Amino acid sequence: MSSTVTEPTMIGLTEKTHTGLKRLKDDEHFNQMADGYRFGIALALASGVIPDEIQGAGTIFSVATIDPNREIYTAIKSLITTGDMPVYRWAERLAEWGVTELIRRAEAGEIDFASIFKQVEEGIQG
Amino acid sequence: MKLISLTATNFMPFKGTLKLDFPSDSVKNVLVIYGDNMRGKTSILNALRWAFYQAAKGRHLRDIPLQDMVNKEAALEGDWTMETCVKFEADGHHYTLSRRATKKPLVTKPSRPEDFEVISGLLKDSLAIPAHLIEQEINQFVPEQVSRFFLFDGELLQEYENLLIEGTAAAQEIKDAIEQVLGVPTLTRGRDQLDTLLKEAQKEQTRDLKHVQGLEAQAEKQAEWQRKQEAFDLDLSSLKDKLKTNKDDRTKLDDELEKLAAVLRDKQKYEFYKGKEKEVEESVKSKKADRQKLLAEAWRDLLQPKLLEKRTQLQNLQDDISGVMTRRTKLEGRIEDLKKMLEQRFCPTCKQPTPEGDRAKVGHDLGVLEEELRQISVDQHQFLHLSDQIRDLNKVIKPLIWPRIASIDNDLTKLNIEQSHIANELEKLREAAKTYEDADVAHKKVRRDGLVKEEGTLGKEIDDTQKKLDEAKNQLAIISKAIEGLPGARAKKSTALVTIYRDLGKVFADSIEKLREELRLSVAARASESFKTLTTQKAYSRLEINTNYGLTIIDEHGNPVTIRSAGAEQIVALSLIDGLARTGRAAGPVVMDTPFGRLDLHHRDNILRYLPTTTSQLVLLVHDGEIRRETDLAPIASRIGAEYEIKEVNPRHSILERVTV
Repeated sequence: MSSTVTEPTMIGLTEKTHTGLKRLKDDEHFNQMADGYRFGIALALASGVIPDEIQGAGTIFSVATIDPNREIYTAIKSLITTGDMPVYRWAERLAEWGVTELIRRAEAGEIDFASIFKQVEEGIQG
Repeated sequence: MKLISLTATNFMPFKGTLKLDFPSDSVKNVLVIYGDNMRGKTSILNALRWAFYQAAKGRHLRDIPLQDMVNKEAALEGDWTMETCVKFEADGHHYTLSRRATKKPLVTKPSRPEDFEVISGLLKDSLAIPAHLIEQEINQFVPEQVSRFFLFDGELLQEYENLLIEGTAAAQEIKDAIEQVLGVPTLTRGRDQLDTLLKEAQKEQTRDLKHVQGLEAQAEKQAEWQRKQEAFDLDLSSLKDKLKTNKDDRTKLDDELEKLAAVLRDKQKYEFYKGKEKEVEESVKSKKADRQKLLAEAWRDLLQPKLLEKRTQLQNLQDDISGVMTRRTKLEGRIEDLKKMLEQRFCPTCKQPTPEGDRAKVGHDLGVLEEELRQISVDQHQFLHLSDQIRDLNKVIKPLIWPRIASIDNDLTKLNIEQSHIANELEKLREAAKTYEDADVAHKKVRRDGLVKEEGTLGKEIDDTQKKLDEAKNQLAIISKAIEGLPGARAKKSTALVTIYRDLGKVFADSIEKLREELRLSVAARASESFKTLTTQKAYSRLEINTNYGLTIIDEHGNPVTIRSAGAEQIVALSLIDGLARTGRAAGPVVMDTPFGRLDLHHRDNILRYLPTTTSQLVLLVHDGEIRRETDLAPIASRIGAEYEIKEVNPRHSILERVTV
């Protein structure tokens, strides 16, 4: 069935979140925007979020840049029932949620990444 | 006499008001004030000195000008008012002594003491004492001349150790200061006055003799020596003035160089911290770069717990299929064997013939196994799909990165703390780095060396002139004696006056020597008493005083102890100060600033035990380097009536806080 789903070649974020991601890079939380984008996807997946559809997402990255070895594809496919929707559209929704969460955490100054990792680890153990 | 309290406003580093209550209990009569160097210990001593005598002393006992006493921060804010108020009891009366210095109305920024107006007031049992009698009233209890012995700092001890080296200029100066305190100058001034009268009388005599026939030659000779004496007197006085100016300039330069040495140390520290700041910045930069690199890959760590769980599920499914496949293979093998047994009539495993009776059972078993095999189905496609999924997951599951990020975060926190510390230190030292100039220091050093050289030359010239002056006086005495024997001269009134003034002068000179001797012995006796209590060496029997008030330790065999440790020197100096203080005034409070510099624990204990017994109150201004408050004050713990601590708000602002005992 999955073979009939056509995957997009470009993915992105809403304008607001895109601006926030740029700031995360400018404030040196991430070296590249793509690093923050991947981190956002993983954060949403780890948090067990099933994100809603996003309105007005622009195209920012090529899928080949974000997921050159299809690792993100594998992770999403393994952890979410994707149904008829292309996996990378899921990635886009997850990124929107995760990057927004990172922007929120950065408002206090430094993002406490160690505590994010700890929370994720404890969440599973709990 | 007992001190009750001291309040001071905007006095040196103490911005605003400081209040110090002195212990009133006669047993618990020790007050300890702790403060690091440069925080304001000596300023508290100076606040008392200014309250009593309207004077504050800096290094080498130089006066601190009034404009430098006002707190710098308050002055920057436009507040140029400084005041002190000391309350004390003496002879059953209660005194309140206040002094207030305010900037004169037309002065914008005071740059000399004259730019201030100082108002002093003394209340005796609530009644005001007239301004012109204040000094006289104070001197009854705390004479200013003796003040250096009860308001003294560690520097004074060093100064008094110089007395032990005979013949030095410093020793002579201190000897003069001691005699000033002990009252010898009254007689010295009398002798000097008689000397002046004698000179006048000799001149008169010369004039008279010129008119006496036969004595003209004598008169001429006397006049010549008188001219010489006057010239030598003038030379000597001018040389002494020059030497004094020279010494003042040199001391000033010494102070400046000493301050600059401290500034240089601060500048070097500033440069060290600047280097360190760069180093830490680089380290932070590199750590942040490492962290960003790791963060680019760390997204997988977030997924790892869920992916591991998923992989376990997939592996379990695969294991199930694998189990079925194994079962099927085993069944197929068994069926094959049973079929062979039926067809070939022997066992395919042991090759023995199959008994006829067993063939029916083999046929039955074959039927059961074939039925079982028919019911087992293996989903090969599913098995391969699971393998693909597990393989893909293994590509995403990698060793964890976040512990390395956590470790970097930890390092960054430490580096941040270090950066704050460095920034604070740099802020403190910034001023020093700006003000220090190598050229200025080199210039001052050359000037100082020149002045030292000149001092030596002047000293020699003074010695030579003094010898010439003595010779002139000697010659005049010989001439005078000779004239006295001549009948023509004897009849003259001027000759009689010369004789009287000369004899009186001798009486004064002898009295001075006698008084000096008595004072020396009194000081020596009191200093010996103190010394025997303070020293830890029981073989020392007493102190012997020399003509300069220098003290020598005498051992139990009556021999002088020639080699003394730095600690022993300090004990001797302290004993001398105690002897002088007790010779010069009645018992009263003693304030000691940094007195324990080079003393070992035992001597420190002895001093701490002894001083509270000879003083009405003992105030100790100490820093952590000389006294560890938890342990070193144990000998006098029961005598401590109050403790205060000086805390720094910033380099121009300190506060005094009472410590809860």
